[in-house]
Amino acid sequence: MNKDAVYGLYPNPESAQRAVDALEEAGVPERDIVIVSAEPFEDYPFGRRDHRTLMPWIAVLAGVLAGLMGFLFVAFTQRAYPLPTGGMPIVSPWPDGVITYELIMLGAILATLITLVVTARSPEGTSHIYATEVAQGKILVGAAKVRAENSAKIEAALRNAGAFSVVGSKPGA
Amino acid sequence: MEWRGGWSGERWVIPMASLDQDTLNRVDDDLLRPLMATSRRYFVASSLVGLIVLTAVAVFGYQVWRGIGVLGINRPVFWAFYITNFVFWIGISHAGTLISAILRLANATWRRPVTRCAEAITVFALSIGAMFPIIHLGRPWLFFWLVPYPSQRTIWPNFRSPLLWDFFAISSYLTGSVTFLLLPIIPDWAVVRERAHGWRKRLYRVLSLGWRGTPRQWNRLETAMHIMAVVIIPVAVSVHTIVSWDFAMAPVPMWHSTIFGPYFVAGAIFSGIAGLILAMALLRKCLHLEEYLRPLHFDNLGKLLLMMSLLWFYFIVAERLTTWYGNESSEMAVFWATQRGAFAPLFWIMVLCNFGIPFPLLAIKKLRTITGTVIASSTIVVGMWIERFLIIVPSLARKYLPYAFGSYRPTWVEITVTAGTFAAMGLLYLLFVKFVPIISIWELKVGLRATLPARAAWRQKAAPWSQCRDLRGRPNAGEAVLAANLMAKEPRE
Amino acid sequence: MKSEIDHLESKIHWGMVVDLDRCTGCEACVVACRAENNVPTAGEDQAARGRAIHWLRVERYWEGEFPEARVRFRPVLCQQCEAAPCEPVCPTFASYHNPEGLNAQVYNRCIGTRYCANACPYTVRFFNFYNPVWDKPLHLQLNPDVSVREVGVMEKCTFCVQRIKAAEIQAKAEKRELKDGEFNPACVQTCPPKALIFGNLNDPESEVSKLARSNRATVLLGELNTRPNVTYLERGSWSGEEGGPASAG
Repeated sequence: MNKDAVYGLYPNPESAQRAVDALEEAGVPERDIVIVSAEPFEDYPFGRRDHRTLMPWIAVLAGVLAGLMGFLFVAFTQRAYPLPTGGMPIVSPWPDGVITYELIMLGAILATLITLVVTARSPEGTSHIYATEVAQGKILVGAAKVRAENSAKIEAALRNAGAFSVVGSKPGA
Repeated sequence: MEWRGGWSGERWVIPMASLDQDTLNRVDDDLLRPLMATSRRYFVASSLVGLIVLTAVAVFGYQVWRGIGVLGINRPVFWAFYITNFVFWIGISHAGTLISAILRLANATWRRPVTRCAEAITVFALSIGAMFPIIHLGRPWLFFWLVPYPSQRTIWPNFRSPLLWDFFAISSYLTGSVTFLLLPIIPDWAVVRERAHGWRKRLYRVLSLGWRGTPRQWNRLETAMHIMAVVIIPVAVSVHTIVSWDFAMAPVPMWHSTIFGPYFVAGAIFSGIAGLILAMALLRKCLHLEEYLRPLHFDNLGKLLLMMSLLWFYFIVAERLTTWYGNESSEMAVFWATQRGAFAPLFWIMVLCNFGIPFPLLAIKKLRTITGTVIASSTIVVGMWIERFLIIVPSLARKYLPYAFGSYRPTWVEITVTAGTFAAMGLLYLLFVKFVPIISIWELKVGLRATLPARAAWRQKAAPWSQCRDLRGRPNAGEAVLAANLMAKEPRE
Repeated sequence: MKSEIDHLESKIHWGMVVDLDRCTGCEACVVACRAENNVPTAGEDQAARGRAIHWLRVERYWEGEFPEARVRFRPVLCQQCEAAPCEPVCPTFASYHNPEGLNAQVYNRCIGTRYCANACPYTVRFFNFYNPVWDKPLHLQLNPDVSVREVGVMEKCTFCVQRIKAAEIQAKAEKRELKDGEFNPACVQTCPPKALIFGNLNDPESEVSKLARSNRATVLLGELNTRPNVTYLERGSWSGEEGGPASAG
């Protein structure tokens, strides 16, 4: 049986970065490298992994769509049951514009929220790698789907980078 | 001397000082203490405000049962205390999300201990304010007729009505500000999850939504917060503009004014900052956050408050002077009622509360202390409530035909419900601090870590505080002081 | 403003003329309106608090100082504006413009925001602060053609829409056009000096449209551009200056 995952706990971002580099050198594919921390580390290369996202464009697109649908909805209901008030046209552009504006914003907000929830999920096979020490400020760096023949090499690499401790979790453990 | 850390080719050129374990533990302990244990004083305080809220709810029940005539409203003053509360609380809600979003976008590093406390005010004040258009209704049980949905009545709401705009604006704003508040709480709840036991552990396991803290999650969260900060500012501005349009769209003397939108938004931010300062002072005392909410924060917010006080004064002068100069008869009836008639005492108290007292307190550096800003904020909160009342009632009481002039006096029902809103704010806040760290733990740690080079520099007497820079070279003296205080027994500057 | 609503407009457009030079201030119209439209009495205490309901009121204004004072009367009822400020502000279409030019109030749709009452510059909209009560035996005189309004609902002058509808149905049944003056709202019917005239403004031959074109015609708060369907007739201004047009009559 292969060892499923190996990870080390690091006291600071510098050693975590060394560990990530060592894993890459050892030939672990990028998607199998797992990093978990209690803070974002934007100033380190490992903290900038996966930072590309279409979220802003999705928000813009959703805002445009929501605004368009909102305007059509308002205009359609006004025409479907036409009730004149105050001498205004049945489809009154200014008031409908106010509602369209609010729906543009609501669309962008909801799209951002949904995109976040959907895309922040971890890739399959890595989501169980976690240690409670992370909450106390340790940084976890590890590799998922490690084959048995590689595990010793990876463990050594993690330890050399300056880990407090290196843990290998067995399947079903 | 180069103190900026960075990745250069293969290894770190300058070994970074590390956030030591003691500091991390201390931040966690300080900020999570209210979540883990509850004192007797907490129970006494929350029962007290809870009792007032329950009384207000019961009084509202009485109002529904007896009829809305138990209020002091009459013809022609059809709106009074309830709508004043509506505008006031929606105004207070501009404290948080708007200010926090602006500070985020401006990358003001001192914001970190303040933002969550401000965003919570937004959510609660908005929820309280948004109740009033419902409970002031003649038939509140039919409030859902404002909601556009296909019904057996086969009729849709009137999208030309500013009340519908209110419905849409408040829905967007509430959704946005709840999201804005909750997103950065998730990583903090994950920390609580690991430290709590028993039912608390189970609760926070659910609340933290499986958060682990991978770079992917952090980056998505930061992007989402950035988008939310950009979106929430125009929403907040539109919300109070639309609230002002509830008045400005009606041809009522001194309501029908183009200045109302910006005037209301400025007033909202004004009262919002005052509310935020009061909340921060209370939290600082009650939760022992003296090291986190520092005089620096009160000083900075005090400067913002000073600017808004001047802006408010400018708006009131602009509004009054154009009215007086225009000398239009129906507007002058309202004008003189507020300047030297029945409403004049209230008007001049308002000017004193919003400008006369706060201006010197906030303008003179020596007086802009925590005590000074708290006194100024208290008078501003009172003054802004009066301001909303004076916008609504005198205009209605002096509307065109003198034969239909009227007056207004609140009844005990309106006064109790108004008191209930303040108690509700207190209750919601008390509950909030029991379940959420009131200062964002991870954002604070990011801030602390950013000050490390500055600390190192300071330790070597290499640079004075004012020249300290964070990792990205931004001036960061404020947090460097905070970091020094938190991390070591080093002398303060 | 020409708009998409034109197809809803009929050849009938109800309007009223109030001849201030004829009004004696007797308030018979006020009493008739109250009896016809089931307007509840508020009671002494509530009336003192400004909760009295009177769809039609006679305003009294004094000119000059005693003993040279003279009083002028102005009956004020809903002006049935074409560009009514009360209509667009209502979120539930309780207040809307009907095809015959009436500023209609649908009680069942009203949720009681009272926004319309604030927007109305004439302050002729009334709110039910409590459920209406008629002390026995007054309940026996309620008009069966008019619904009573529950607590929390706005109400106002309808131009006696129940009489309009009854007459229109009658005319339709007899397959004929409505005749001018065939029926009248209660206030018009009651007015002893015939200061109130009601009819179809779209019929150029009707008495009301002729009077509305008179050179004495003016509208209340015309500067607000609400385009009322109630026209006031008066000779000259209310300035009250001796020898001025106001005292010429």
